[in-house]
Amino acid sequence: MSVDTARPGATTGAAGIAASGRGGRGARVRWAGALLAAVALLALAPSYTGDYAQQVSFRIFEYAALGQAWNLLAGYGGMVSLGSAAFIGIGEYTTAELTNHGMPLVPGMLVSGLFAAAFATAVSPALFRLRGLYFTIGTLALAEALRLFMVNYNGLGGNIGIFLKSAAPTTAGLYWLSLGVAAAATGLVLLVLRTRLTISLRAVRDDEDVARQMGLVSFRTKLFAFTFAAFLMGVVGGLQAGKLSQIEPYGAFGLQWTVDIVTVVLIGGLATTGGPLIGAVFTVALAELLSGSPELHLAITGAIVIVVVRLAPQGLWGLLSRAGQWGRPGRARRRPDPEGAP
Amino acid sequence: MHLPGGHTLVTALVSGALLGGLFAVTALGLSLALGVMRLINLVHGELVILGAYLGYVLLSELGLDPLVGLLVVAPALALVAYPLHRGLLLPLVGKGQEAPLLTTFGLAVIGQNLFIQLFHADTRSLSRSYATAPIGLGGYEVPAIYAISFAVALVVVGSVHLLVQRTGVGREIRAASEDPGAAAVLGVDIGRVYARTYALGAACAGVGGVLVGLAFAFMPTTGTGYLLTGFAVVVLGGLGSVLGTLIGGIGLGVIESVGGAVFGDGYRDFIGLVVFLAFLALRPQGVLGRAER
Repeated sequence: MSVDTARPGATTGAAGIAASGRGGRGARVRWAGALLAAVALLALAPSYTGDYAQQVSFRIFEYAALGQAWNLLAGYGGMVSLGSAAFIGIGEYTTAELTNHGMPLVPGMLVSGLFAAAFATAVSPALFRLRGLYFTIGTLALAEALRLFMVNYNGLGGNIGIFLKSAAPTTAGLYWLSLGVAAAATGLVLLVLRTRLTISLRAVRDDEDVARQMGLVSFRTKLFAFTFAAFLMGVVGGLQAGKLSQIEPYGAFGLQWTVDIVTVVLIGGLATTGGPLIGAVFTVALAELLSGSPELHLAITGAIVIVVVRLAPQGLWGLLSRAGQWGRPGRARRRPDPEGAP
Repeated sequence: MHLPGGHTLVTALVSGALLGGLFAVTALGLSLALGVMRLINLVHGELVILGAYLGYVLLSELGLDPLVGLLVVAPALALVAYPLHRGLLLPLVGKGQEAPLLTTFGLAVIGQNLFIQLFHADTRSLSRSYATAPIGLGGYEVPAIYAISFAVALVVVGSVHLLVQRTGVGREIRAASEDPGAAAVLGVDIGRVYARTYALGAACAGVGGVLVGLAFAFMPTTGTGYLLTGFAVVVLGGLGSVLGTLIGGIGLGVIESVGGAVFGDGYRDFIGLVVFLAFLALRPQGVLGRAER
């Protein structure tokens, strides 16, 4: 008996790659233009909006960046990690320590990203021995192990955590910073998706054994996606620390991060370029609408996830692009159709 | 870190091995879902906690002793799980591994928040005087509930083993697990077998939940911990092996208990996870040997 690691409809992957190659330049210019215009418009917002809107936007931008990272890993790379919280927590703690020792926030965030990436590199030999479902279990166990360690280990504040000495930036400052992180994450992921590397990534996702036989170095491909996602998550962790006055292991390494990221990407659209953005807007907006009863909100989110998985595997982005004919015919085929099961 | 004395160490060994029975019962359903239908059932922990809450309601509303309540909780969990599988998971069979995984992920999120809605975030337990009383086992004192849950575990694991190995239903389960395609050709209703297996696993999870409630405290989010313990047990004991679950449970119980005695009680779960991860990474064939060629 064998676990079917080959993704359904693996053959359409090649067509998808060809399609994205053909439309590469035009799409790239269009995307870059749209991204820059959006960032420029959004950067002006603090002059016209209040603190509340900026705080909500901060969360949207955080989740957009996290979603982009996880989407690259899970959506395009097929590595369904449930260990996101580990990298966010590492980012939070690194930034907290660094800023407490006098480093400014932004360099601290970047070093946090590097730290998270280094951790990802260190655990990758063990994790990459696990494929498919076992990789998922392994990442979940790894993140929980790290959380339990941080709760018990007294060197970094134990279960109380760390108080941040430096004052947090203003609401507008955090807004701009998070906008920058989200834009950079989106831009970087789009850039990666235009390189040859994404071809090997998708090939490894669709059938790792065949990809290896064709001479693709699956380990290096996976390592790149894994460390890159970890870097982005570490940076966002640093950003989150910049907002807080105290970080503690339950929040920093909390499973809620992992859960939120998965819901953002699934609802927005797994393996779609705009999915993480639209998913972040949707989930944060829903949370704000139902802020009176957070449990109800999460339960509804869970139900939406189930419905999306069943009926709209490409999420809101897929629905919108189908409705609005946003893409050319080739675009829609980028992700192998999950309906085309063998 | 300190090295405990001989008596402490043996007590830790004994109580850990007994606690392993509880681990085995909470893991059995996970093992069945993984072994028979290749499903990572992320809502498994919530099924365990649902069992605990059901036991709690039976105790507080009807005054039903939790151990008697097992006879209600187990079928109730099966009745909840069967339609859940038929309605939500069965339509996804053959659509890759991610869709079912993510569906159970959504179910877990719903379950946890339903618990918070219904029971609030308070910590609860099924407090019975017989559970907390210590009993002596050859000079070593352990909480009675450890011994009770070990006995329940022997009964549950033994019955499920016999069910799978000796009955017609079990033969269909084994056939569907070995080769669903061939089994379907030979007239096995794969959908029904899967849903039955899922319901059986949920019933075991419910029993495990009641034991958890008797032995420890629980709250709406406790399930995730038992999901991870469950994975550890399944990996240690061998995927899909019913009797292996008992061995894996005992193994994990001993590792955590002795680890806790050496490194401090806070590190129990951490040590369990580390050993689990090491086992997963160093002996993937222990898990993947059957799963992946």
